[in-house]
Amino acid sequence: MTTPNVAASRRFTLTGRTANLLVIAVLVGLIVVLALGFRRDPRDIRTAVVGKEAPAFRLERLEGTGTVALEELRGKVVVVNFFASWCVPCREEHPALVRAWERYRTSDVVLVGILFQDSVESGRDFVRRLGGTWPTVVDDRGRTALGFGVFGPPETFFIGRDGVIEGRHIGPIDEDTLVRGIETLRRKPS
Amino acid sequence: MSIGWADIGAGALRAALLFALGGIVAAAFAARYRDVRGLRSARWCALVAFALVVLADAAMIGALVTHDFRLAYVAGNNARETPLFYSVISLWAALEGSILLWTLVLAGATTFVAWRGTRALPRLATTALGILFAMLAFFLLLVTTPAADPFVASPFVPENGRGPNPLLQNNPLMALHPPLLYLGYVLFSVPFAYAIASLILGEGGDRWLVATRRYALVSWALLGSGIVAGAWWSYAVLGWGGYWAWDPVENAAIMPWLTATAYLHSVMVEEKRRLLRTWNLALVIATFALTILGTFLTRSGIVNSVHAFSLSAIGPLLLGYLVAILVVSCGLMLWRSRELADHGSLGAPLSREAIFLFQNVLFVAATVTVLLGTLYPLIAEALGGVQLSIGAPYFDRVQVPIGLALLFLMGVGPQLPWHGASRATLERQFAAPALAAAAGAALALGSGMRGAAPVLTYALAAFVAATVVQEVVRGVRARRVLHGEPAAHALAALFRRSGRRYGGYVVHLGIALIAVAIAASQAGAVEVERTLSPGGAMRVGQHEIRLDALSEVQEPQRRRVIADLWVAGPGGETRLSPSFAFYPNATQPVGSPGISAGPADDVYAILAAYDARGKAWATIRVRVIPLVSWLWVGGLVIGVGAVIAALPPPRRREVHLPAIAAEAAAGAE
Amino acid sequence: MTPARIAILIAFAGVLVAVAAAARPAPAGPEERVERIVAELRCPVCQGLSVADSPSVSAREMRDLVVQRVAEGRTDEAIREEFRRSYGDWVFLAPPTQGAGTLMWLLPIALVAAGAGLAWGRARSRAEAAEHDPAPADVQALRARVAREEAADL
Repeated sequence: MTTPNVAASRRFTLTGRTANLLVIAVLVGLIVVLALGFRRDPRDIRTAVVGKEAPAFRLERLEGTGTVALEELRGKVVVVNFFASWCVPCREEHPALVRAWERYRTSDVVLVGILFQDSVESGRDFVRRLGGTWPTVVDDRGRTALGFGVFGPPETFFIGRDGVIEGRHIGPIDEDTLVRGIETLRRKPS
Repeated sequence: MSIGWADIGAGALRAALLFALGGIVAAAFAARYRDVRGLRSARWCALVAFALVVLADAAMIGALVTHDFRLAYVAGNNARETPLFYSVISLWAALEGSILLWTLVLAGATTFVAWRGTRALPRLATTALGILFAMLAFFLLLVTTPAADPFVASPFVPENGRGPNPLLQNNPLMALHPPLLYLGYVLFSVPFAYAIASLILGEGGDRWLVATRRYALVSWALLGSGIVAGAWWSYAVLGWGGYWAWDPVENAAIMPWLTATAYLHSVMVEEKRRLLRTWNLALVIATFALTILGTFLTRSGIVNSVHAFSLSAIGPLLLGYLVAILVVSCGLMLWRSRELADHGSLGAPLSREAIFLFQNVLFVAATVTVLLGTLYPLIAEALGGVQLSIGAPYFDRVQVPIGLALLFLMGVGPQLPWHGASRATLERQFAAPALAAAAGAALALGSGMRGAAPVLTYALAAFVAATVVQEVVRGVRARRVLHGEPAAHALAALFRRSGRRYGGYVVHLGIALIAVAIAASQAGAVEVERTLSPGGAMRVGQHEIRLDALSEVQEPQRRRVIADLWVAGPGGETRLSPSFAFYPNATQPVGSPGISAGPADDVYAILAAYDARGKAWATIRVRVIPLVSWLWVGGLVIGVGAVIAALPPPRRREVHLPAIAAEAAAGAE
Repeated sequence: MTPARIAILIAFAGVLVAVAAAARPAPAGPEERVERIVAELRCPVCQGLSVADSPSVSAREMRDLVVQRVAEGRTDEAIREEFRRSYGDWVFLAPPTQGAGTLMWLLPIALVAAGAGLAWGRARSRAEAAEHDPAPADVQALRARVAREEAADL
């Protein structure tokens, strides 16, 4: 009478209790992961470039008057801002950039605007209408944006005197954040 | 102050909540004390709650149609220029509205069970009704808390609203896809409620399963149609030439469909062999939990990508609901585990029930993999703090082998008898399908298909189709011999009398069509991109495409730039007009493809870029995608099969055995 | 050997040959290499679409960069590394085949193997099946009981 049972037990089986414990453990794990998900903001992409050397670029100025190269700005604190005329938040943050530029333009701080996925005409139009006298350049087929790991404008990078990216801000930036970022880098011994 | 849409809607929902709570009490009373008055009250509670929810949905539609921007939902999802049709379907264009629609469907299902379901097996059905009322109460609670209240007032009344999401007001398929999905999701509450009721009552049998078989089938079919409609919408609207991206939203829909498919097959094992009771309960619970998990994942905003909507406060509530469902279900199953033990054991590895079990294993493995892939970025971040992505390359590589194995079992299963098959049976059953498989593989090679997976897909699809044809031919032949019917008559009788079986075969045929469509469209698509001046032409595969003009049109709610294309190919000539649409509230334009669908291939054209100033050039990207329309046809075939399977068969006794029928009638008096 | 068995064997061999013929790896030219790389790169502005599938400008720029790098003669791994440097592992749509990512690839195999093992464990030989099925009389009795219970309900 017991033969079939013996045969069955020799095969791969899972006893009731083990199976129950396994299922419950998996479900608890699932719930914990989901609950932990609330602490996470899916828009907060930690960036890979912070702490690395900023990718070199030499780009045409928007006005067509020569080029700007990152190497030539070595020794200065550089703020790189990606913008586009079609981007509404860029318009929102623009006054903050203007004020920060007024504050630092005579110091060892350079602000560079990089036009992102936009036509030169629209970019010029944008700068002419909203003001701003810091150097603005046109990206070359998105190469610089890809090097910086840009998702979409506006994005702002803080580069130290040694050419290392020390900070990044995704989305429209305000004056406080700009000043704080710049001051941190200025105080840092090179 | 006059009464507005918001007052009507909010009032109706709060009143409906009271009736749902009343329904829980009435149903519990009726089930506990077997009291007919309790059941009668529960029925009326359901009907009144349903009517109130209908009123709330109608109020929301009224507010949308009359552009009442005093409501935050209307201000955020509607504008004065929005056409009437899109105003109406904006009901499910955003979170709060879609939960309102969900509540409506759930109230409808509850009412149906209250009035129709309780006629048979009243005690089980009344208990299930109480559970449905509890679920309805939860959703009514949800739509009356600030987190998801669709009738919240705007902080200020704007001159004009933001208008619906441009992607959602671009195509009428949007009217079809979400309601189908919601119907599918919500109808699965009924089998779940019966399963839980059966556990509470400690029945241990399969009565809950037989009573809700049709709900499960209809829910499965609606969910499947919703998925196919969603794929079609994605194909026709999003402009990337594909139809499935393994996006979290898509994954949320496919997971319950996979477990429901497993369930529809394993119920047969329980019905025929009274086995797998625990397993079937687990599948029903898993399917239902996955519908809630899917809603949670897509509504809470925790798995979206960069440019996602904001986190919703509804997330913790839905997670709490999910936890409650899992705790109650698992607790009940552990409590009743003794009653659920199987008696008897499974057939040989080559028996129909064993194939069903292997098929179940594959479906569950597919579901777990999709779930894990969807959640992996979350897990990686929670455990290691790293940000990772999981997308099509992973899912394709894992799911294609599983899919091929399932296709194989789909051909094998129906050909095997219950308990086990002899070698002679196997040979008789599989000779013709095996030859068909070889022909399918040859056809794939002949049509220039490359890669092992597509060729194997063709072979297996031919294998499945041959098994279906063989089954139908044998059935017809048997009827002709037994009843002397003509072939056409015998065929019709087969589908009418054994709808479940032959409807199932039709579904298999639809799946085979879809498998071929996926293989061909993934492996055989050709894409060419050219920048053309008006008059310029390009060649893609056997099709010639010419840009005739680039024009601009101003419509009330948008501005469109349209490329006028002339397309000529083996199927004749046609015109396509891919376009860019500019909506006032959107920063980026929305591209719409121009599609010329054909039985052999689709020409899929998109306007990739254009000269905004002088309209002197346009960059056109054209993808020729073979057999992609077979996907939609396959979806339709599956729908037809499901209807055949769901239709109740005619009462056999009256037709075949009049004497017994008369006896039964006499006995009933 | 019966004719049916011969037909099955020939058909099986035919399918195998066809699949093997189709599976011959195509020569990996520059275009195939580009396709292979962009299929696994995530488009930064999309909801989980790959660079190969996305019609967005960003995706086009990434593809152009890949095309250029392939033309310059860089290895696939070097090109991937360039994107990893700026976007991190986030930019790849498939988990890596080493480290913790291996688990993601092994899990489906483990699941199917364990499930199939369990199912096989429950299935028995035909002889056992015949021995253990309830006798027809028992089935009759069970059916009668079910009918009684249903009638007694409520």
